[in-house]
Amino acid sequence: MLSRKAITEAKKIVSEDLKDNCRLEIVDLLLNPEEAEKYNILVTPTLIRTHPKPEKKIIGDLSDKEKLLTCLDLTPRR
Amino acid sequence: MQNKAKKGAVEKLATGICGFDEVLEGGVPKGRSTLITGATGTGKTVILNEFLYRGIIQFKENGVYVTFEEDKKDIIKNVKNFGWNYNSLIAQKKLAFVDAGALKGVILESGTNYDLSPLIERVKYALKKVKAKRLVMDSIDSLFSRFQNKDAIRQALYQIVAELKDLGVTALLSGEKVGGEKGLTRYGVEEFVTDGAIEMELIKGQQQFLRRMFVIKFRGIGFRSGIVEFEITDQGLVVYPKIPIERIVPKTDFKIRKAFGIKGLDEILGGGIPQGHMVLISGNTGTGKTMFGMHFLTQGMREGENAVFLALEESVEQVKKTALVHGWDFSRYEKEGKISFVSSSLIDIANDKLLYQIVSAVESINAKRVVVDSISTLMSATMNQEQVRQFLLQLVGYFKRKGVTCVMNYLSSVSFGAVRGQLLSSLMTNEIRLSSITDGIIMLLFVERDQNIKKLLSVLKMRGSQHATEIFSFEIEKGGIKMGEKYKE
Repeated sequence: MLSRKAITEAKKIVSEDLKDNCRLEIVDLLLNPEEAEKYNILVTPTLIRTHPKPEKKIIGDLSDKEKLLTCLDLTPRR
Repeated sequence: MQNKAKKGAVEKLATGICGFDEVLEGGVPKGRSTLITGATGTGKTVILNEFLYRGIIQFKENGVYVTFEEDKKDIIKNVKNFGWNYNSLIAQKKLAFVDAGALKGVILESGTNYDLSPLIERVKYALKKVKAKRLVMDSIDSLFSRFQNKDAIRQALYQIVAELKDLGVTALLSGEKVGGEKGLTRYGVEEFVTDGAIEMELIKGQQQFLRRMFVIKFRGIGFRSGIVEFEITDQGLVVYPKIPIERIVPKTDFKIRKAFGIKGLDEILGGGIPQGHMVLISGNTGTGKTMFGMHFLTQGMREGENAVFLALEESVEQVKKTALVHGWDFSRYEKEGKISFVSSSLIDIANDKLLYQIVSAVESINAKRVVVDSISTLMSATMNQEQVRQFLLQLVGYFKRKGVTCVMNYLSSVSFGAVRGQLLSSLMTNEIRLSSITDGIIMLLFVERDQNIKKLLSVLKMRGSQHATEIFSFEIEKGGIKMGEKYKE
């Protein structure tokens, strides 16, 4: 499953980059289409950053880590 | 229209959109997906909306709206202009949205390994929620523009269409046609997705835009070919179907004659115009063409035959005023349902619309006599000679099938025939190759004699029947036309 890899990647970020300073919620959209409708999700896997605002969406298996960190504003300051 | 559906053939689903089903000879392929393609602003979204709305209101077929462009809120607001209350339909569980409007935030991609299964689930969920029979998707191209992995999108669309087919849901999917590109849509989705495709376009006229549509393909099922015009009115779409040109016309019974009620003229014509024939009255301005037409209709109404007057030269009010001077109360006849008037703007005449109006007028009062005043006016910016010919072919064919007898006025540039031999010198019908369409021609001319202008009439042609060949003088008096003597030099 495509999502499995993404979940692993997301968890890695949560523990390594965010030092567990956040909550990661995993939703199976195929079982909860209302949730997909609510957050306007068209693709699995999708990672949504709900906080802090603005809301950000990143799709794919999260294999491009640099892009992922940029998207989440987690690039280390130089 | 006859439904020639064979066993096992694709059935059609009536859309309920005015005139559209007639063009499609019944509707769109039932349980299939049809592509609506066209450039921006051609009316794709409107047709999609109306398809859903009519389905719910007229056929009790619930619908799902999948949007990748405007979001739900804006769509609901937009259709209020047509008087359609989507909020109420949503509350009644007759309409459901898959709201994936384009403006809902930026999506970044980290790796191209993903699929669109949530979209499929959302569509399925919405279909189930309202037990939908119809679905629209607006637009496929905006979905494609959003993700890099085009294969994932194709895969999802393929699955959705297959799912719709399984559920027997009829769908319209919109696609963006980009100028200069060969395919029907930017991403070539039509090939695998749809069983039919309709293209819409916007044409620039002299003073306004004209909307047109045409069927590109309808896999295995019939439709009327050709480009048809349509309008977007405050109540939705109005499509003006072409009248099929039929080669076979009923035989004329030459014994049935339609008189003008002008003493002398009817004798010249052998009793009048044969039923179902089209006679051209040609003459320059002021020769009395309109007056002959009024006589013809008034006589018909006296005999219990209803009439349609196509007023393109003057306003309907002006026609009525002129008629009243001669004692014909057209306003009263109109109230009594004996006569119906059709008029049109004089620039950018939409032929299909005009045809539709004439046919509707004829059908509504079962008219047996029609006057077209005049066909010269039809030669406007949007109607070239070939289009006028097409228009007349359709109209005359329709009249013949209905047994409607018709007088058409034609403004001829020939006015004075003062010199002997010049009278018939220039026959106007060649100008638009009308002679094969017309059954008869009456020519009106001025002639100058004894420092007076006299009006002359001559019957040039009366297909299949005898007529006088001499030239007659006539005058316009209060009360109408008075035929005079045979004209002598």
